Amino acid sequence: MNAMVLTMAAAAAVASGTPLVLAALGGLLGERSGVVNIGIEGMMLIGAVAAFLTAQATESIPLALLAGLLAGAALALVHSFLSVTMRANQIVAGLAIVIFGSGIATFFGKSVEGQAIAVRISPYKVPVLADIPVVGRILFQQDAMVYASWILVVLVALYFRYTRAGLAMRSVGESPATADVMGIRVAAVQYCHTVAGGALIGLAGAYLVLARVPNWSQAGTTSGLGWIAVALVVFSSWQPLRVVAGAYLFGLALRANFTLQAAGIGSVPAEVLSMLPYLLTIAVLILLSFFDRQNRLGAPAALGKPYFRNER
Amino acid sequence: MLTLDRRLHTGPFLYVAVPLCSVVLALLVGAVFLAVNGFDPLVIYREMLTASFATRYGIEDTIVSATPILLTGLAAAITFRFKLYNIGAEGQLVVGGICAAAAALFIGDTLSGPPAVLLVLIAGMLGGAAWMVVPALARIRLGTSEIITTLLLNYVAVLFARLLIFGSNTPLRDPTSTNFPQGTRIPSGTFLMEFGTSRIHLGFVIGCAVAVLVFFLLRDTRLGFRARVVGDSPGAARYAGINAPATALALLLISGALAGLAGASEVAGRAHRLDPNGLAVGFGYTGIIVAALALYNPLAVVPVAILLGGLANAGETLQSVSGLSVPSSISVVLQGAILIFLLAAEIFLHYRVRRVHRLPARPAEGSP
Repeated sequence: MNAMVLTMAAAAAVASGTPLVLAALGGLLGERSGVVNIGIEGMMLIGAVAAFLTAQATESIPLALLAGLLAGAALALVHSFLSVTMRANQIVAGLAIVIFGSGIATFFGKSVEGQAIAVRISPYKVPVLADIPVVGRILFQQDAMVYASWILVVLVALYFRYTRAGLAMRSVGESPATADVMGIRVAAVQYCHTVAGGALIGLAGAYLVLARVPNWSQAGTTSGLGWIAVALVVFSSWQPLRVVAGAYLFGLALRANFTLQAAGIGSVPAEVLSMLPYLLTIAVLILLSFFDRQNRLGAPAALGKPYFRNER
Repeated sequence: MLTLDRRLHTGPFLYVAVPLCSVVLALLVGAVFLAVNGFDPLVIYREMLTASFATRYGIEDTIVSATPILLTGLAAAITFRFKLYNIGAEGQLVVGGICAAAAALFIGDTLSGPPAVLLVLIAGMLGGAAWMVVPALARIRLGTSEIITTLLLNYVAVLFARLLIFGSNTPLRDPTSTNFPQGTRIPSGTFLMEFGTSRIHLGFVIGCAVAVLVFFLLRDTRLGFRARVVGDSPGAARYAGINAPATALALLLISGALAGLAGASEVAGRAHRLDPNGLAVGFGYTGIIVAALALYNPLAVVPVAILLGGLANAGETLQSVSGLSVPSSISVVLQGAILIFLLAAEIFLHYRVRRVHRLPARPAEGSP
């Protein structure tokens, strides 16, 4: 395997890791406020189908992205209603979101099955930076959404650490009772962050169809990416910056197919190669919990626990 | 302003009313959804009712569709009830199906009738349980979330089944099918018995029997008692000296075995070969809805499985009714909606909503 192949593999890993960056960032945004979100797959799918149909109708990339974002946010609103207002079991609520989202996506996706999308996001070479050897090829010949994802990650990290709202949100995730006493509106904070997270996840779905997958293939469009994003949230210990590293690692596994072929290894069956990202995710999760047995991997303390003021 | 008070006692009425209302509300929202998308909900619902519950063939098809989700529903109920989340029933079902097909082909013509069928079913259960071993051990030894591991293994299982049939030349793949690869037909001695001229097979009866078994397992055995204590109050369980990890391991493995049994029943009762595309169609996920709607009561799983089996079956039939062209995924949309409404309504099982009047603001301390 020569340097050229490695560089290309790294560039491909960044590209295919980007939907994961956006989706996992959205997932952890809601989870830091204490609401478990395992519905990422459903929100991505509904974002993807909304973006796809909008792109076919309007041939506009911004409108398609916006449609994906709104669809993801709408489904996240349902999730917050179940989890926050109705105090439902947040795991089962997430599953309901996945089932409902994939049902909606296949319902509306039926009319465009197999079609290629009308507009696609194309790569943009960053002046000067793109010409740096190796690094330029890997990082700065990507499309605008890749760059946007970096900005979003940094913004979220700064928001967590340096803003009042970020602090309020973290306190809700750690101890809603305390936050409540402090005068923070627990439910409002959880709604806002879950819905904002859903918007990012919807955007991830939109980006997927606008840049990554060649055509619409019903539920095969995300093929479990949303679940890898759920694992990535755990993997990142709920820290935005760590999401990026994890996402690119998984991006590498997602493109193992392409890389091995480029390196001249073609005898591995396609099915086995497709298993790699899932097996890698499982292995990483198990290893992670092996090395971190005591402190719940850095999860917010009140994650997944419905808050009842009367039972404080 | 509204406030929630915990109910000390929930009457039996609510246990029936809450799931029933969520189904009705989901169907109403589904009707609006259909109308908005240019379909006539009344025509479609009437068509669905006819397709699944009103004719003899319809009822037969409904029972056949209910069989796998009855078993995956039990697989979900036995874990979710105790705050363990096996969402890998889909994968365990596929692996159970693979093992059942392999066992049936291995048995060949050496055995037939009940012993052969029993071996095939056991192979399926072992396969399903084996697929659960790694997530279960990781959960109890290391605390790895079984939610993600079991779910991701679904994709691996489906890819594995596809590899066996489409990607390689195993004995499971029919050597005579070159252009359109499919599984080798299993010997007829290993088929699950069908009733009369219908396509309803022994799998449904087995499913009902298993539901009763699981009900008594959870109500009357030591394992069931321990599971309840661990699930409801881990602290009390620790204090009572209950081995929580062993209890969780047992529940998770039984859950995997039940899902594997569903796969075996599909292979030996319906498809009579390993057919990856017919096996991995979401039975595992539907099972979770079945369990939730049954409020995790194993006996209630049976009627709920028939209801949702009818819904899935109706979705399939609708697609082929000329002049309607409703995507079959309408049944998935409705399933999702049912679960959403159930989750929203479940709170009324345990809490009472009460109006309270806001207290007048107290003057700040220290002020005169």
